[in-house]
Amino acid sequence: MTANQIELSGVNKYYGAYHALRNIDLKIRKGSFVALVGPSGCGKSTLLRSLAGLESISEGELVIAGARMNGVPPRKRDLAMVFQSYALYPHMTVEENLTYSLRMRGVGKAEARRKAEEVAATTGLSNLLGRYPRELSGGQRQRVAMSRAIIRNPKAFLFDEPLSNLDAALRVHMRKEIRALHERLGATSVYVTHDQIEAMTMADHVVVMRQGVIEQQGAPLELYDRPANQFVAGFIGSPAMNFVPCIAGADGRSLVLDLGTPQTVIAPKAVAAGRALTMGVRPEHIELSSEADATLRLPVGAVESTGAATYVTTATLPELVIVLNSRIQIRPGEMIPLRLDQSRLHLFDKETQVRLA
Amino acid sequence: MRRFLLSISDGRGFDIGLVSVPLAFLFAMAGLPLIYNIVMSFQEVDMFSLGTFARPFVGFKNYVTLFSLPETWPILGNTAVFVIASIAGQFTIGFGLALFFWTGFPGSSWLRGLFLVSWIMPGLVVGAIWNWILSGDFGVLNYILRESGLISDNIFWRSDPDFSLWAVVIANIWLGISFNMILLSVGLSAISQDLYEAAELDGANVIQRFYTITLPMMRSTIGAIISLGLIFTLQQFDLFAAITAGGPNNSSNVAQYWAWDLSFRQYDFAQGATVSVIMIVFVMIASVVYVRSTRHEVRG
Repeated sequence: MTANQIELSGVNKYYGAYHALRNIDLKIRKGSFVALVGPSGCGKSTLLRSLAGLESISEGELVIAGARMNGVPPRKRDLAMVFQSYALYPHMTVEENLTYSLRMRGVGKAEARRKAEEVAATTGLSNLLGRYPRELSGGQRQRVAMSRAIIRNPKAFLFDEPLSNLDAALRVHMRKEIRALHERLGATSVYVTHDQIEAMTMADHVVVMRQGVIEQQGAPLELYDRPANQFVAGFIGSPAMNFVPCIAGADGRSLVLDLGTPQTVIAPKAVAAGRALTMGVRPEHIELSSEADATLRLPVGAVESTGAATYVTTATLPELVIVLNSRIQIRPGEMIPLRLDQSRLHLFDKETQVRLA
Repeated sequence: MRRFLLSISDGRGFDIGLVSVPLAFLFAMAGLPLIYNIVMSFQEVDMFSLGTFARPFVGFKNYVTLFSLPETWPILGNTAVFVIASIAGQFTIGFGLALFFWTGFPGSSWLRGLFLVSWIMPGLVVGAIWNWILSGDFGVLNYILRESGLISDNIFWRSDPDFSLWAVVIANIWLGISFNMILLSVGLSAISQDLYEAAELDGANVIQRFYTITLPMMRSTIGAIISLGLIFTLQQFDLFAAITAGGPNNSSNVAQYWAWDLSFRQYDFAQGATVSVIMIVFVMIASVVYVRSTRHEVRG
């Protein structure tokens, strides 16, 4: 048997004339944590709902744990889903919420109760079993939703933006908790989010989607270090990567950047002379240098300090955002010497926006 | 004095002032007639004492007389049958239709709106239509039943004592279906789709989802609609007037029609008032159920 718990090949989904999923090929290894990430309307939720069986796929093949699942109703897929709204049953107590799936499968009352107590003990719900969802806080509801999924011991967990209704502090906390839970259960998890930080911090494998297409998939740092195209480069990382239109110099070893005024830097690799490109550089990969080492001298537009870091926006067109991990005294209008980290420049074709190999 | 004026412009006095206006209106327009009716049921009333409120009190004599009449228990029995059968029919068919339209096939919301036509029609018109449908000799209902082999001889719905009450029940069910359906549709659409998806993933099939999600989530709507149904059914007068007039021989007479008949056809105002007071008790019980069921709504 393959080690893939979920396998999608050539999956397409149409809503009438609208092409929601385009040729999706995705293999999810058993025990891995996969994040589907992208802007709203990119098809990530549709893809998750197709896995769950809440949407049917128009073409292609979906295999879960070795069995073809096209057209199999959700209740026979043995997947557990955590909804964005939590979808707790409001007329049932926490315990009844947890044991619902067991009762539907005909598990005995005593057995269901025992399992509920077992799961509640691990998720810190033991003293809340008799409460109704309306009597719980947002974080507690979230835990109930998770526990309801855990109790079933399903083939895979599906998460549909489960943290988006929580406040920022709780979200950071739950991120770790979900990840810890995943490790403890050794479960296969598919996690949909529009927050790239959630995807980067939680997942083993990140799938970036746009307009129904998988733009790139891979390990989080691989996506950060070698984005396949300009979209992924701009989507992964915060603050977002700077993009500067440029033209390869006549020697093929330099780039002429168009920052309102032309600036020349050394290219990270050889490029055909005169080729129109877009150079990408992350804000954290531009550093302040001494006058002697400077590769660029740019005027300062705005300076914002968070205490830990200083965000400098240059007065160029397009603007560059620079993150400096030190406190410095500079004022808008000053010219500052900068050095680009040569090995961390990204080059994309101007037309196709695809990364230059 | 100053504090009193201040409380009227902004404070408890202001609140009481606001509440007192509708309360005064309710008391004048609903409370007084109700009290008048109750008082009258304990008095001796005839054509000559109608103009005065100072009539001789007779205690429970009107009630005793009423229950010694031979037709009283059959009519109260008819009322019970009419109420229970009407509500059962309206609710079951209304719920069925609400679930049917809830599937959301193309044109479902348009068609659902069309169903309200039956509800906006005056009871007398509905009665007239059903008179044609129920007609013994050439009614379309008899035709259908005969052609489908369910009956061999025509049923004289309106004049046969075995069927006359059911003739009105059928018309009343038809009249009430759309109201039940609309209220139940509203209740259904208030249930979040997420719950059904969660239940589906939790392994519940259609029937399990109906019994574990739909029904419990609809509890307050169902309570409200059944108590409203009880109130509306006890108010149903037009259909009796139009279809059977309580006949033949009281076989389709019910309390609300009888109260009117006693007061305004037989001019026995005290007995008419007595019947209405008995009905008030039942309507009050229904109102309490209604208020309680709308208060205990399940919130997610």
